[in-house]
Amino acid sequence: MTDDQGQTLRLEIDSDLANTTLIAMAVRGLCAMTALSPVEVNRVELCVVEIVNNAIEHAYEHEKGHKVEVAAHLAQSALTLTVSDWGKAMVKGKLESASMPIDLDDPALWLDSGRGLPIVQNLMDSVSYHRNGDKNSFVMLKHIKS
Amino acid sequence: MAFEAKSEAGYTIVSMDETRLDASISEPFRLYLFDQIDSGSDQMIIDLASVRFMDSSGLGVLVAALKKMAGQGALKLAAPQPAVEDLFNLTSMDKLFTITPTVAKAIEG
Repeated sequence: MTDDQGQTLRLEIDSDLANTTLIAMAVRGLCAMTALSPVEVNRVELCVVEIVNNAIEHAYEHEKGHKVEVAAHLAQSALTLTVSDWGKAMVKGKLESASMPIDLDDPALWLDSGRGLPIVQNLMDSVSYHRNGDKNSFVMLKHIKS
Repeated sequence: MAFEAKSEAGYTIVSMDETRLDASISEPFRLYLFDQIDSGSDQMIIDLASVRFMDSSGLGVLVAALKKMAGQGALKLAAPQPAVEDLFNLTSMDKLFTITPTVAKAIEG
């Protein structure tokens, strides 16, 4: 259990897509300590995987050997996940403009990529992105209803 | 990673020995599906029974395969688990694909 201040777990992986499962399983374990429902736990797992994928694919352009850090802060009323990298920053405005339009009649508009950010925006209670020096951090917050 | 295809009742049924269809295997899976389509499989069922987790990369591969078929033939998805079904609903991809609870139901039509 956590007190009002909460507790923070820091995880670190090398920038290899095969390592995202380690983060996913650890975050699932953390979520199991909370009142999040099984559906919410699945969704939190999806969000953290999407953002870790983004760090590896875009910030590090699939190059292995770089650090991706996930800080999970668990308090009574919220879980905050911060995914950090030290690679290329996200293009300004990308987070704000993320969307996933669908037109069933026009296959040209059936996107086979680019759904990660809109999914995360849709599922988390708040998201933000910051660059501090050479460190990029994507912060996601999920309220926990007890 | 292991993907497998078998023929049954006029369909190519693709299954996988993977519990996670994520970015780490999405490219080999895409190549496998494209190879099946290029080899003439135009009635395809993808059996998702083993997949407990799918991210947007895995979803993107399924959309790419559907686009590659370009309206010729059929691509059905069978037996999605709860987290996978949730992803399809969240992204409205449940409207794009024919999704059935079992492979048998997909074959029935």
